[in-house]
Amino acid sequence: MSKMINFGIDLGTTNSLIAKFEKGQVEVFKNPNGFKESLPSVVAFRNDRILVGDQARTYAEKDPKGVASRFKRKMGTTETIKLTGGSKTPVELSAFVLKELKNFVHSGEQVDAAVITIPASFDTVQSNATKDAGLAAGFKKVLLLQEPIAASLAYANKEKSVDLRNSQWMVYDLGGGTFDVALVKIIEGELTVVDHEGDNYLGGSDFDALLVEKAIVPEICRRGKFADLLPQMKSEKGKYNKLWYRLLHAAEVAKIELSTKTSSEIDLGLVSLEDDDGTPVDALLTVTRSEFEEIIKAPIDGTVDMMKKILTRNSLRPEDLNFVLMVGGGAYIPFVRKRIEEVMGISVNTSIDPTNAIAMGAAYFAGSKEFKSDTANATVHKNNRQLKIRTAYNHNSQESEETFTAKFEGDVSGLFYRINSDDGSFDSGLKSLLPKISEDLPLREGAYNLFTFSILDGSNNPVDVGFDSIQIAQGRYSVAGQMLPEDICLVVDDIVNKDTRLKRVFARNNILPAKGKASVEVGKTVIKGSDDEIRIMVVEGPSERHSSTNKPIGILLISGNQINRDLIRGTEVDLTFEVSESRDLTISAYLNGTGQEFSQVFKGTARQVVSKMLAADVLDLETKIQKEIEEASKNGNHESAEGLERLHSRIQSLISEVGSLVHDDVTDDRFKLEDKKRKLAQDVFELTASKRVDAAKSAYVNSKDEVGGLVSESGNDREKHIYREIVAREQTFVNSTNPERIETATGELDRLRWQILMRTPDFLVGMFEHLVASRASMNDQVQAKQFIEAGRNHISNQDWDDLKQVNGRLWDLMPSDAREAEDMRLYTGII
Amino acid sequence: MAQMPTIEVPKWALLLLNNIYEVERKLIRNGDPGNVSRNIEKMKGALAEQMLFYEDPMGESFKETRTDLEATISGSNTENLVVVEVIKPVIRAGDAAFSRVVQKGIVLVQSKDVGEGKKEESI
Repeated sequence: MSKMINFGIDLGTTNSLIAKFEKGQVEVFKNPNGFKESLPSVVAFRNDRILVGDQARTYAEKDPKGVASRFKRKMGTTETIKLTGGSKTPVELSAFVLKELKNFVHSGEQVDAAVITIPASFDTVQSNATKDAGLAAGFKKVLLLQEPIAASLAYANKEKSVDLRNSQWMVYDLGGGTFDVALVKIIEGELTVVDHEGDNYLGGSDFDALLVEKAIVPEICRRGKFADLLPQMKSEKGKYNKLWYRLLHAAEVAKIELSTKTSSEIDLGLVSLEDDDGTPVDALLTVTRSEFEEIIKAPIDGTVDMMKKILTRNSLRPEDLNFVLMVGGGAYIPFVRKRIEEVMGISVNTSIDPTNAIAMGAAYFAGSKEFKSDTANATVHKNNRQLKIRTAYNHNSQESEETFTAKFEGDVSGLFYRINSDDGSFDSGLKSLLPKISEDLPLREGAYNLFTFSILDGSNNPVDVGFDSIQIAQGRYSVAGQMLPEDICLVVDDIVNKDTRLKRVFARNNILPAKGKASVEVGKTVIKGSDDEIRIMVVEGPSERHSSTNKPIGILLISGNQINRDLIRGTEVDLTFEVSESRDLTISAYLNGTGQEFSQVFKGTARQVVSKMLAADVLDLETKIQKEIEEASKNGNHESAEGLERLHSRIQSLISEVGSLVHDDVTDDRFKLEDKKRKLAQDVFELTASKRVDAAKSAYVNSKDEVGGLVSESGNDREKHIYREIVAREQTFVNSTNPERIETATGELDRLRWQILMRTPDFLVGMFEHLVASRASMNDQVQAKQFIEAGRNHISNQDWDDLKQVNGRLWDLMPSDAREAEDMRLYTGII
Repeated sequence: MAQMPTIEVPKWALLLLNNIYEVERKLIRNGDPGNVSRNIEKMKGALAEQMLFYEDPMGESFKETRTDLEATISGSNTENLVVVEVIKPVIRAGDAAFSRVVQKGIVLVQSKDVGEGKKEESI
């Protein structure tokens, strides 16, 4: 069966990429471990592992005996590279890079054939060596394509309307570490490289080093006393060696920024930079684009000279060229484009993505080339070796590392294995498969650690052994009693419903120890020195229930006597909750308003019941039951009313029992009574839960209708989107037994309603008139008069934004009791 | 072998996290009389609710199997490496139970064997 090759590979000196042509489009694959499209063309042999790419590059400079890079330049030579893992030929090393690129193909499909690009300078031997590398990597068919041609194809496919017949151009490729320029021409309808030049040691990384040496270091030296800063930075054992790497990174960031901005700031604020006398040096440096341009001028002019040589050799004038097509990272630098245009007088074309153009061009070419395939649909090689695996490892662990071992029966020769963590933090590299293997796997604390296990043949094709995944739960399920049996919630006031509600801090089944945070607002002003207090109350039990039904496990009381200044309503309180393995609860509250911190530990064994609060709670519960009875009778709900009556008589006897408790009771009576109260509250909750849900549902439906009309009439696109989004997830809350979930959605709709109304002229005018009617009670009559006059002007001029502001100012003049009409007697004092 | 799909995190979110990290580090270095750390914690909390958080790999060991760090080795020894400087933290998407690396940490690493017994120099 024949099919298209489709895969194109840019096998670069410093970086390689893989792309695929499909249905007229090209996709450049990303490195699953690196979030980048490129794979550094570096291979490392360390500790029995074969590593390719970023991991290998880390060791490239410091462990040259174990790491091979820039081997593309040795392709086609007899030179072998002596490494700790044995001698390797450039072909073998290139094959490792190609095999690794196969892993980028996220669909998992097998790459049987590919177009691989080669520099224009490659001769027949070098080209054949590249082809051999492709075959060694397991491709059944390899086609070669010259890099300038590939770039030109990418251009031609992007700019389909451009007619390139009878034209010639140059492809200028300034990469990370190498430079190539080629003259491309269409001869008898075919793209041909006519001539080329290049420098194997010129690229973007050289510019970073130049920027450090010529701009950053001199500036640092101006700011402090340094005898030999640069040599000390460059020397492996130098005092400032770490700074060299830090600055190289900063220079790269600055270089990129200078492509779009005229200056860039280098902030070394995280490093305490001191000169030889120990005096701190100001760590904020500025590099300007003109400084950078001055620094790279000489090397760029060197590339221009190479272009001129090509023109001279081919008896061409600059105007004979249609354009210069720029690829490689250097194309991003405005000065490079400007300089070429300026000196050569030829327009520079940067319409294609300079970093992946060659791979894309190769893929376009691959999309037009056929090859015969016998395994077109196979994605996993069949296990013909009768390979059997037996694995052994702990599925649950408390350690930070766990050893995975596996034994194999069958022929393991020539096979490799590899283990990758699914979270992208671990890669074992390729390791030879032996009858028994073991690998230490790093585990993340408190997480499910998933790893992919694969066995690969010599061409990096997967071999199926029926086992491909390792799952280890760290810190879970291994010690009994370490999970929370119930939700742990904070009790806060619910101003709208004149009640309290629960805010979940830890969910049921949370692993202990656990730490949680919440920010709440103070719901009422607490005056310094007063007995007024706020209550940070933590209860245990289902978060959808009412606070009174759940078991209190800790109450941190902060009273006016403890604070050093008034705690103003609306200021924030940062709360931290910690539950230890033995279930001790620590509540810490930081009052942003006073800068004070309060903290208390509540022992898991010692329950907190304050007699005074218990009495108040019981009375509240009685009031609540009475109200519910009245409501149920009014609605003719006799069954509920009867049930509630029974609860009422129970609460009355409880009231007298609680009343007989002394303030400093030392018996366990208060705990028993608290239990009774909680059971009663649970019964009330159950009897009335359906009522709350019904009320919440009906409020939601009303809001939905009203806001729906408003949105379609006056809503903008964003508001329409928000409305549709709320309604679309209606099924997730409307059938819930938890009224709070429904109320939350209603709250969202209400916010939307206000948002729209606040710019609706009719509403603004109505609100204005309402405020004018309340003028007599306003605090400052002179100001009120001015605002009202301004408001009338805005109405006649139809300045609705200004009217909105006037309404706001008038509202501020209303007496505070009018504004706070909705206040309730707060229970906790926090919202 | 199919790959896990890549999680696309908007650049602004990464920029925000990287800067929050830098502010946090500067506060540790220069002191925090205005209690800015609390605001930092809140910002981190808000981002964690959006399933994004960072981790500081400072002091952790590094070897060739770690793929959540982009390391540069300082000094000549390549064994027993530890992170001695963090230029960018590791950013993860997810929650405590399962998360994935969405930005590799950029770090300088150095062999423990080199610095032993030597006063750590400031650069």
